[in-house]
Amino acid sequence: MIMWLASAQQAFVGGVLLWASAFKLVHRNASVHARRSVLARLVGTERAAGAYRAVGVVEAVVGLLLLAPPAFPAEAYAAVVLSAGMLGYLAYGKLRAPESSCGCLGAKQTPVRGRGFARAAVLGALSVLAATATEPWLDRPLETVAVLVVEGAVVVALSPELDHRWLIPLRRWRVRRRHPLAARAVEIPLESTVRQLWKSDAYRSVVEQLTSDLLDHWDEGEWRLLTYAARTPSGTVTAVFAVPRLAYEPDRVRVALVPVEEEIFV
Amino acid sequence: MADILGRRRFLSSAVLGTTATVVTATTIGSVAPEAVADPRKLDVEAGAPDPNFVEGRITGIAGGLLIVTSSDRTLNQLHLTKATSVWKLRPTTADAAQVGDGLYARGVRMPDGTLAADAVWLNIVNLVVHITSIGRDVLHLDHHGDRIVGHVVSGTTAAVYNNTPAVSDLSLLQVGRHAQVIGAWRPDTNEVDVATVYAAA
Repeated sequence: MIMWLASAQQAFVGGVLLWASAFKLVHRNASVHARRSVLARLVGTERAAGAYRAVGVVEAVVGLLLLAPPAFPAEAYAAVVLSAGMLGYLAYGKLRAPESSCGCLGAKQTPVRGRGFARAAVLGALSVLAATATEPWLDRPLETVAVLVVEGAVVVALSPELDHRWLIPLRRWRVRRRHPLAARAVEIPLESTVRQLWKSDAYRSVVEQLTSDLLDHWDEGEWRLLTYAARTPSGTVTAVFAVPRLAYEPDRVRVALVPVEEEIFV
Repeated sequence: MADILGRRRFLSSAVLGTTATVVTATTIGSVAPEAVADPRKLDVEAGAPDPNFVEGRITGIAGGLLIVTSSDRTLNQLHLTKATSVWKLRPTTADAAQVGDGLYARGVRMPDGTLAADAVWLNIVNLVVHITSIGRDVLHLDHHGDRIVGHVVSGTTAAVYNNTPAVSDLSLLQVGRHAQVIGAWRPDTNEVDVATVYAAA
């Protein structure tokens, strides 16, 4: 059991490395991704594209060696070294360039986060397991394919740069089926009343004198009342606006300027 | 509370004219712009800090005075009066200010160096985000790779779709889309209460 599992890891780790290298070597925007990645911080922006390709070549060589029979432990150890280097690279990125992209498996720009570390650790552990393989993975193709599918799903789940391929569409489908925010009470938001107020001549006529933002608001039948503090040549006043609550009719907005002292007598 | 209700009733009658008791209030439909006297001048040199503006976090509250530490570590003292508008997710009163709250304030600098605040916004944030998930009363947002949890507050959260008037219906928000969120930050967390979300529909 352990033996063929270990063999399957050769195929899996090799496959992931080939995938990573193909992205670095073949993708038409590879040099752009290189400049956005942590690598640009590590070796400088000018050399980033070259270094990115060099990493891709190393990954391709190790990946092909792992895939091709016979199975030598040395190939798997090379993959372990790559995974360890990956962990170091991510740690550097997390510390020194937290907004830079990993540039690992996909074109989507995603900063280094916990999932990236988990993925590198998983690959490292699987590479160690692959080092114990003695027989080539081609001997048991069916079991290997099953293992590849399961582990592939794990790696995809740990890749934030691939979320837009499966996670976002899944959530979008779920929200479209049944929107979690659909069952909310219908009311006229304050924001809408304030916007209507801004469009009114009554507001424009006194806006130069307003000193505060919205002080208070309440509803009075079909009206919503909004108060602001204002400064006029004759002193501090409260500007009271009455805005139609249930209709969009900025022309009907009314305003009164009430001296602050007078409110005491109410 | 009775005070507030009485005051509201008074102001309502002032603007709507429902009672005859208020005759002294100047009820006006519209004032021509030229009648507006003395718009306050902005006399700040280019590049100089605006003396009538303060940003920072509240590090102490003493009486009616807010002690605010700005991001350049200057200390400011703010007076709040009855004529000061206070925003914390919604228009509220000066009692809502707490130590630890972030703050933007506009007002008038007094000769003793304190700021008599005209308007204070507590914990207000303006975020351009991606919606990564929608749950019950919650929006999960991605802000340049950082996760932000946006809480939907019933009765307050509003949505503006394609610059049309704000509505309380949030069911047109979609996962994976861009949005702009005005909200109130919950201090020292990655959570905000959403006031308004602007989105395309």
